[in-house]
Amino acid sequence: MLAQQLANGLAIGSVYAIFALGYTLIFSILGIINFAHGAIFTLGAYFTYTLMGLQFGFNGLLAQQKLPFGLPFWVALLVGAVIAGLFGVFLERIIFRPLRARGADPLLTLVASLGLAVAIVNIIQYLVGAETYSYPSGAALPGAPASVNFGTTEAPVIIRTAQLIIIAVAVLILIVLTFFINRTKTGRALRAVSEDATTSSLLGINTNQLIRLTFFLSGFVGGVAGTLVGLNVGITGPYLGISFGLKGLAVIVLGGLGSIPGAVVGGLLIGIVEALVPASLVSYRDALAFAILFIVLLVRPQGLLGRPLIQKV
Amino acid sequence: MSAQSVLEIRGLTVNYGAIQALKDVTITVHAGEVVTLIGANGAGKSTTLRAVSRLLNPRSGSIQYQGKDIARLRADEVVRAGIAHVPEGRRVLARLTVEDNLRLGAFVRTDNEAIEADLQAQFKRFPRLLERRKQLAGTLSGGEQQMLAIARALMSRPQLLLLDEPSLGLAPIIVREIFSIIRDLNQSGVTILLVEQNATLALKNSARGYVLEAGQITLEGPAGALIEDERVRRAYLG
Repeated sequence: MLAQQLANGLAIGSVYAIFALGYTLIFSILGIINFAHGAIFTLGAYFTYTLMGLQFGFNGLLAQQKLPFGLPFWVALLVGAVIAGLFGVFLERIIFRPLRARGADPLLTLVASLGLAVAIVNIIQYLVGAETYSYPSGAALPGAPASVNFGTTEAPVIIRTAQLIIIAVAVLILIVLTFFINRTKTGRALRAVSEDATTSSLLGINTNQLIRLTFFLSGFVGGVAGTLVGLNVGITGPYLGISFGLKGLAVIVLGGLGSIPGAVVGGLLIGIVEALVPASLVSYRDALAFAILFIVLLVRPQGLLGRPLIQKV
Repeated sequence: MSAQSVLEIRGLTVNYGAIQALKDVTITVHAGEVVTLIGANGAGKSTTLRAVSRLLNPRSGSIQYQGKDIARLRADEVVRAGIAHVPEGRRVLARLTVEDNLRLGAFVRTDNEAIEADLQAQFKRFPRLLERRKQLAGTLSGGEQQMLAIARALMSRPQLLLLDEPSLGLAPIIVREIFSIIRDLNQSGVTILLVEQNATLALKNSARGYVLEAGQITLEGPAGALIEDERVRRAYLG
């Protein structure tokens, strides 16, 4: 029973983790929380659905429409995530860069991103309605069983294939991203810009280009996360990303703002704790995530893996 | 302009809001020279360097580097053109290792083998950086950070090095070491525009100098003549 809950928690926790990575990437470079990230996450799920050539429902401007072609799930996931990434770059260009150029207060940028999130959610609803969509069963791994029992017949630990896929993809993203940031020249430049953009430009780094790249990565990872959730529980409507947006915020504050390992640990922790909530208390599940956050912040204001807020000079 | 001038600043005017930080500043740096800019705090020395490396937008005036106007380039393009700026307060990337800082200095280069060779050359020039190679730059002492900042700038193989207050806050013995490095660098062919509060030491190591007062050049000439100049002695040499 416990093993079963842990497995469930690990699956949802990995989505929290890669969702929160999108926040973390942008926060570490620009010091802002991009609330539009939840909306990009939602878009990613819809992009994949669209690219698979699946038909929309009865409401919205695109009612009953579908693409003349359909891509296999994994290709659609990848292309959809790239489009989500490019969409992030687009938002950076039209909203965040002009604000930055004017030296806008971070709070203003925050509110702008919140407005973007609302606008995107409404546009989605306008286009395809508020209906629930889901990818065809077995879309990801045709022919694979719907679930696998890792326990015994007496004590089953049943993990659904969708959950296994989520965990595998999340681990893959983490490994690739960690390698990229710690071991490549561009990753090193990203770390430099995140510490001191002015000095970075004196080293010949084009900071605007790296900020674009960061928005792309953030949108890409967000798009993947959205599709994974769509695969697991379906696309429950344009508001899919909103609850993740808040949960993701709890995750990065819990893990430590701007810390990539922090986002992972925070995500897994919240996912597992939520999964351990007994069925009778399930309506308090979300409150629990924020209660943990509250307690941790009382003891460790910088989060689990964050740097102390006051740095030695 | 003369054939061998590396940097020609003409009529440079910079405003910070309503405050005029530089007014009609004209400075020439010839190839192979060390030129020093002296002046009191707030006279506009750092502002001049920041205008050259494009950290700020001049209001008017031209900045020519090797005959090309660089006043409209981005800061990273100035580095690509061959100018490296060691900013005031060193500005090492404290959360990155010494080695990462140095490698970032070579960010604009793609000749990987030569970069490795230059990295070894910097470690040879600054043995203490080799000892601390894997340490975070923020854990270095002030003198070591200054050496790292200079070594990092050299990793881009600059033709012109802008040095802003390299001796600031350092012990006298370290200051002498820094200046001996500056002499070595110059002998190896790097042209240097130096901003210093330690005017005597700076002028002794320079070919020419400029005196900046309240945003304007009030005096210029060979370093030897400036050291002897009564006004300079009174104001800056004590």
